[in-house]
Amino acid sequence: MYILEQILNGVCQGSIYALMAIGYAFIYGIVGLVTFSYGEVAMVGAFAAYYAFILFGNNLLIGCIAGIAGGVVAGMLIYKFCYERFLLAPKHIAIICTVAISQLFKSLAQIYFGTEVKPMASLFGGKYIQLGDLRVTYVQILVLVMVIIMASGLSLFTKKTQVGMQLRAVAQDKKAAALVGIHVNRMALLGNCIGCALGGTAGLLLAVYYGNVYATMGQAVGFKAFSAVVLGGLSNVGAAAVGGMLIGLLENIGIMFFSANYRDTIAFVFMVVVLIFMPQGIGTKKGYRQ
Amino acid sequence: MKRNEIMQKISGGMQQVKSWVMRRQRLLLVFFSAAVLLFPLISQNNYLKGMLVKVMLFSVLTTALNVINGYSGMFCLGIAGMMCIGSYTEAILATRFGISFWLLLPLAGLTTAVFGLVISIPAIRLKGIYFSIITMGFSEIVRLLAQNWTGLTGGAMGIKNIPHPSIFGMKLSQVNHYYYIVFAILALCIFTIRRIMNSKVGRAWLSIREDEAAARSLGVNLLRYKALNFFVAAFWAGVAGAFMAPYYQFIAADMYTTNESFNVLSMLIIGGQGTMVGPVVGSLVSNGLSELMRPFGDWRLVVYSVIIIATMWLRPQGIAGSSSGALTGRKKKRRQKENLRKAQRLEVEV
Repeated sequence: MYILEQILNGVCQGSIYALMAIGYAFIYGIVGLVTFSYGEVAMVGAFAAYYAFILFGNNLLIGCIAGIAGGVVAGMLIYKFCYERFLLAPKHIAIICTVAISQLFKSLAQIYFGTEVKPMASLFGGKYIQLGDLRVTYVQILVLVMVIIMASGLSLFTKKTQVGMQLRAVAQDKKAAALVGIHVNRMALLGNCIGCALGGTAGLLLAVYYGNVYATMGQAVGFKAFSAVVLGGLSNVGAAAVGGMLIGLLENIGIMFFSANYRDTIAFVFMVVVLIFMPQGIGTKKGYRQ
Repeated sequence: MKRNEIMQKISGGMQQVKSWVMRRQRLLLVFFSAAVLLFPLISQNNYLKGMLVKVMLFSVLTTALNVINGYSGMFCLGIAGMMCIGSYTEAILATRFGISFWLLLPLAGLTTAVFGLVISIPAIRLKGIYFSIITMGFSEIVRLLAQNWTGLTGGAMGIKNIPHPSIFGMKLSQVNHYYYIVFAILALCIFTIRRIMNSKVGRAWLSIREDEAAARSLGVNLLRYKALNFFVAAFWAGVAGAFMAPYYQFIAADMYTTNESFNVLSMLIIGGQGTMVGPVVGSLVSNGLSELMRPFGDWRLVVYSVIIIATMWLRPQGIAGSSSGALTGRKKKRRQKENLRKAQRLEVEV
């Protein structure tokens, strides 16, 4: 039953990566710039939830709100400092800015929150459901449910509401969107904040799933989300989710065959293989990539 | 109104300085080289000398990255992986087989260059941000392999006690020795790259940077020249990596993370891409700033990141960027820069 457990772990981790990848692809689609500060957004969300749990007791709802708020605030800062002025500039400038701001968040977190690994409140006290030989913990169920809620909520929001329609218009063509009277700048800010809210939630889930928070937790997951997004050609949200899930599964199945040390390599190998064999990503029209 | 006048005065002053520098570029070059060469003779300050070694080492790395990012217009995020291969080649061959440092320097460069050629085969077919991503992916794979292949690389413990270079039986272990070695490497690196840039190959790279389609229609073999570009850059990154190993006496895989790539990249962008002097200026400013920040303690990285963002806000083309090659001083370069800027503007508007 070892393999089933690994698959379940893979699905859970994969769904967290998928949530981050969705946010990442959403940001890339709407803002049009790659960010290297997404892992730090997750870290900020995780710390916000950590302190919310300390202040208000182990209330999941407040934790979620804190995580989302943390992500949104970080997203706003990133947008103001890295994107707003450089939407039309050469792309490497915004990339350098996001790298710098991720360093900024990391160092500030180390100064204010400390460099040590902090234990996260265990919400369910390790309770689990026995399904035959398989143990499904409450935390795993929480992760799956949260990811499904967030992803479908985002999908409904972009498809059914007017603001969502405006967001999609901006993602398709900024100029045409501006011509029909959409405030492109504001929409880009909103899109970035929504993406970062997903990142903050993912940070909360990561912290609850692994049971700890620390200042440098963002980097590795940020790169994994990034690798996942490549599958969809950076802006395809659905394919990004599939990519995240695949990376989670491959990691957990891969460590049954290789040493666990090679765990982090798998995401990068996945990314390189995808880029070599289908550089435009799946589900994207040929010639679409920029 | 008043602000405009002040700005005009400042920019007029800048123009004067620029033309002064351009007229005396050879003199200045000789002066600075002499100053750098004579510095260890007059100063006993090992801390300052060590810092200058670091500045020059990173100048080599930044110059190598400039070959890719500045001259052929691809955006590479994987310089740390190349460094890593150079360092490990030197360290492994020197500790296990006792091969001389002087032989290993070009050998490590060649190993890295061949590796660069191999990864360039898939990478150069990709455009824009995808190229950046794949170079970053390769760099991280190299680092993780170095970290986990314990039999060859010592794993997370790294490689210790890398022998110092020696010449005619004399051991070169002082800071002064390394100072002159890295100065020679930097001079050679800048010299060769400048020669390449003044040749057919360099013009081909610039034409690729300006407009790929036009370059192709004029008969530039894109893939071959891009691969060559990668080869040259990887060679010098490998040489710099090979210098690092005996200088630090200890290497481990966590010295070559993507953060290190970003570090070199930020030096390049702060200094100014596509110029000969930009990488050196960027390395000097970045390393100098991070040393000056030492009293800030924990706040050092915070201040440093704020400064990077501020540079991007105030001078996105880099410190030496707009002077269109103060040390090269050719009019052609300035025209090319202007064309590039125009091209970028067009690209944005389309």
